[in-house]
Amino acid sequence: MKKQGRGIATIMFGFGYGEGFPDHAIASAEIEEGGKILIRTAAADVGQGVLTIITQIAAEVLKVKPEAIRIIPGDTHLTKNSGSSSATRQTFFTGNAVKEASEGLLSNIYHYASIEFRSNHVELGIKDGYIFRNDNPKNKLSYWELAERVKERGDSLKAEASFFPRTDIPDPKTGQGKKVYVAYTFVTQVIEVEVDTDTGIVEVLNVYTAADIGKAINPKNVEGQIEGGTVQGIGMALMEEQVIKEGITLNPDLTSYLIPTSMDTPHFATLLVENEDSEGPFGAKGIGEPATIATTPAIANAIYDAIGVRIYHLPITPEKILKALKEENKRGNKEGF
Amino acid sequence: MSKLTIGFIINGQKKTIETTTSTRLLDLIRDDLHLTGTKEGCGKGECGACTVIMNGELVASCLILATQSDGAVITTIEGIGDNECLDPVQEAFIETGAVQCGFCTPGMILAAKKMLEENPHPDEEEIKRGISGNLCRCTGYQKIIDAIKLAANRLSSKNGGRSEKDD
Ligand code: FES
Ligand code: FES
Repeated sequence: MKKQGRGIATIMFGFGYGEGFPDHAIASAEIEEGGKILIRTAAADVGQGVLTIITQIAAEVLKVKPEAIRIIPGDTHLTKNSGSSSATRQTFFTGNAVKEASEGLLSNIYHYASIEFRSNHVELGIKDGYIFRNDNPKNKLSYWELAERVKERGDSLKAEASFFPRTDIPDPKTGQGKKVYVAYTFVTQVIEVEVDTDTGIVEVLNVYTAADIGKAINPKNVEGQIEGGTVQGIGMALMEEQVIKEGITLNPDLTSYLIPTSMDTPHFATLLVENEDSEGPFGAKGIGEPATIATTPAIANAIYDAIGVRIYHLPITPEKILKALKEENKRGNKEGF
Repeated sequence: MSKLTIGFIINGQKKTIETTTSTRLLDLIRDDLHLTGTKEGCGKGECGACTVIMNGELVASCLILATQSDGAVITTIEGIGDNECLDPVQEAFIETGAVQCGFCTPGMILAAKKMLEENPHPDEEEIKRGISGNLCRCTGYQKIIDAIKLAANRLSSKNGGRSEKDD
């Protein structure tokens, strides 16, 4: 028989290293020849999209098209530390460093342009990579022309910035601290499953996610993180199990350690709650790891809702479900007598 | 290890190359021809990262000996488009956000292309089945499915709502 159930789980996730760790990121922004603005950061994009995010941030601050941004990422010779791509921290940390560096560059653009135009910065306007006096917008200088003039003065048009927030080490006795993490991401998922009580197979039908990520700098990217994280959570809930015996993994391949395939993808509906966080770039928070955490307990709850038996050990394989149903049946029969 | 010379057409180009009887097609493609778009995930025919099209069929190039490709026609990801001129399937992958780390992407795109050739109007279930031999650890597959739907729509409207096969 097929039985359907619905489960819910809510999580909060403090991201960045936190706990007093000297976690920080450095970035720089400079006007470079050939009509580009160069951003340097060591942030590694392993597919989560940090380079897209910082391109957007730099373009937004400097009021240019994203195409004008060039990034040198992750080169120890050419970039300074941006910390690891872990702990769900890059958008927040490197995003902030890039935003500050871009703002530093923008301030310098105003500064040198006010010298060129013999004007005060409040009388200057900026649009699409040009700076001009508001009372005479036709007489404009591009960032790159300005950079040439600055160079003639023996200076250069660039800025470096870092983001180095303070966090507190939690009290070892109470585990409490004033600000243990820079911020928290909140995720709630409601998941609907169908359990086949003859085979024990669980199908995840629908996943409804609400994620408070502060601000979605790139909503499609955030959705992609949530969907990918959720499907990893489905794997953890239902199939992924590393079998280790005396230090040796007995299932070191993808036919004995199963991960979700396209056939396991549920239907998604995602709501992004943009409750801007004051410290993130444009109010953004991290979503990488938080995306995967609620899925497993929500599925476990949904299975309980469907079949009335709770399974406490992951993954919830068909064998475990059939065994639990059998035991429940026995108990039920006994109680019935 | 005995050496021998084989010939095939890869991405429209005729090649003659010396190889060994124990070289996998995957290594020939990556190491000898430097076509590194084709990836090695598992090396056991489980993940689809090494997918190429050989004689019109999707194959796992990690399971094929180079010598088996003698006389074959092969298409790798490099053969379907480049930065200047992308294939509509590639464009759709970019637009929908179907690429995260990109490791599964070349195989996914070839699987998608092959599926759309055979079935220009797949529904969601057919798309899922069509790429079920290609594992992706990053995306959760949804954006890939969206990309294939988008590409299918575009390709069929380009053909006046009909596929090439219908003609
Ligand atoms: S590398 Fe060939 S299928 Fe995984
Ligand atoms: S995008 Fe990373 S494996 Fe598919």
